[in-house]
Amino acid sequence: MRLIDIVIGSLRRRKGRMAFIIIGLAVGVGTVVALRSLTATMEQEIGAQLDQYGANIVIVPKASSQELSYGGVTLSAATFDLRQLTDEDISRIKSIKYANRLSLIAPKLLGAVDIDGQKFLLSGAQLDQEVRMKQWWQVVGRVPDKADELLLGYEAAQKLGVIEAVKSADHDSMLHSDHTSVRQPELKLLRTELTLGGEQFRVVGVIRETGAQDDQMIFAGLPTAQRVLHKPGELSLIEVSALCQGCPIDDIVAQLSAALPEAKVSALQQAVRARLQTVERLSRFSTALSVVMLLIGFVMVFITMMNSVVERTREVGVLRALGFRKSHIVRIFMIEAALISLLGGLLGWAVGALSGVLSAPYFTETGAGAKPSLALALAALAAAVIVGVASSLYPAIKAAKLDPTEALRYY
Amino acid sequence: MSFITIENVTKTYQPNGVASRATVLRGVSAEIEEGEFVALMGPSGSGKTTLLTIIGAMSQPTEGRVVIDEVDVYDLSEERRADFRREYLGFVFQQHHLLPYLTALENVMLPLVITKLNAKEKRTKAQLALERMGLGDKFDRLPNQLSGGEQGRVAIARALVNEPPLLLADEPTGNLDSKTGDEIIGVLRALNEQGQTILMVTHNPEAAAATHRVLEIQDGILLSESAEPGCHAGQSLMEEVCAD
Repeated sequence: MRLIDIVIGSLRRRKGRMAFIIIGLAVGVGTVVALRSLTATMEQEIGAQLDQYGANIVIVPKASSQELSYGGVTLSAATFDLRQLTDEDISRIKSIKYANRLSLIAPKLLGAVDIDGQKFLLSGAQLDQEVRMKQWWQVVGRVPDKADELLLGYEAAQKLGVIEAVKSADHDSMLHSDHTSVRQPELKLLRTELTLGGEQFRVVGVIRETGAQDDQMIFAGLPTAQRVLHKPGELSLIEVSALCQGCPIDDIVAQLSAALPEAKVSALQQAVRARLQTVERLSRFSTALSVVMLLIGFVMVFITMMNSVVERTREVGVLRALGFRKSHIVRIFMIEAALISLLGGLLGWAVGALSGVLSAPYFTETGAGAKPSLALALAALAAAVIVGVASSLYPAIKAAKLDPTEALRYY
Repeated sequence: MSFITIENVTKTYQPNGVASRATVLRGVSAEIEEGEFVALMGPSGSGKTTLLTIIGAMSQPTEGRVVIDEVDVYDLSEERRADFRREYLGFVFQQHHLLPYLTALENVMLPLVITKLNAKEKRTKAQLALERMGLGDKFDRLPNQLSGGEQGRVAIARALVNEPPLLLADEPTGNLDSKTGDEIIGVLRALNEQGQTILMVTHNPEAAAATHRVLEIQDGILLSESAEPGCHAGQSLMEEVCAD
């Protein structure tokens, strides 16, 4: 027999009261857990959406006067700009205070090129990054990784006679899409050799129709484009992804503007950011509600334990007479509080996680249920036990301080 | 030096909302030897229970001291005094004060909970104490499944499980019918015959008659001692019994 056996015995005797307090705690913990897991799911969803929409900050030279545009941002082909962006600006971007919040820095050089007498927009970029950023791209073939390789937009490829759309699935086609689950026409490369600025290039991939301007473009590695366009070291724009959830995008924009005073830094995807703000507000609300819930839990356990001390005054007197130290009495009440709150926390977490999963379809677009997370479970248990133990400290000390003779006379 | 020396013990306290201090004990001195069975008698409010709790290391006297086995009890810190109670004293209360949610065996094990004995040793000691009280077949009974006499014996087993040198009993027969009261007094006398020192508060002259000696207290003052209680005592409280 140990102290905990006394506690368990006494809890068994007061089942009803204990069930009440455990359920009370569970409701509090459950609400917090459900809210937390819901907001986590919604944040994840927004994060995924941001990923899909691509870069959220675009940096271009300030002065520009020209006819080519990209992504709604007008680009300069003229050479009389005050200052062009260069490779050096990349390192300046990496030196801003929030550099660690930037998930992707994608420099690009854009310029007009002539192929077979037709004008095309050539985009030089770090293509592996580009593919990561533009997750909607479906590349048939592969992404160029050599200096003499090109990737073509769908319309550009058609204009140059590189592909023609084949209506039905053709199993003899030389190229297969990665996305075999989507029923799309197979693409067949009719020609792979192109001459660009007097150099020979090989087409290694075509991007399926995107409906965006990318369809009309030709993509090459950044150094290749800089060579072909005779603009060594120059950049037309830099796309920056700050995809971390709850990123201080305005601060990042301000820092980038300060680092690159001659460039224009603009943040995109206002709509997504607005939604992100909504989720952030919800998250703040759920934090506030959690604090209130924990406070209520604190008061509830406090009152119950104070009652428990009063009810068990005589018992405390007996134990003290039998030679229990004050510290033993404190321990008995603390063990009781810890047990109750552990049970309440466990039950609350189970209820909260379940309701988080069940209610997710009503709050998120994808309807994906919040996955029960171990971290949240541990946090819920820890919060419950900390609240339980903290709120019982005073009642326990009060019990220990009871005068044993007075306590024995208590009715 | 005697086993227990009570030296000039005074106890006053200030009741809530009352300006003057009430005096419960006034300069009480007494000695008790090892192996004695002593009754502490007196009318209600005479201070007998207060004296018992002072001897029982539970209530600090306002003045005076209590020395048990050469330990000045109130020189100890409060926590050490709790240890002292555990090692030296066994309490039997008027209402027995068994914890209702623990079985007889668990109740007897209570004082052992905070000792360093292992689980098996605790259990064995508690079983022996209960068997000694003739309750070998009632280990797993809850207090409300036991008769008044059985509850009293469980309370005595609990008081004795630590083998304390001194057993303190506060009106152990107070709430019992006379037959059960006799049963408890019989148990105490048997224990005393085996060498157990016992100090018992009672206002029951029949119970007092079973002891070696009666300390009589009135209005906080120790009146007199009768070395041989019963009909030789000559004290007013004994007269009813002797008249029978």
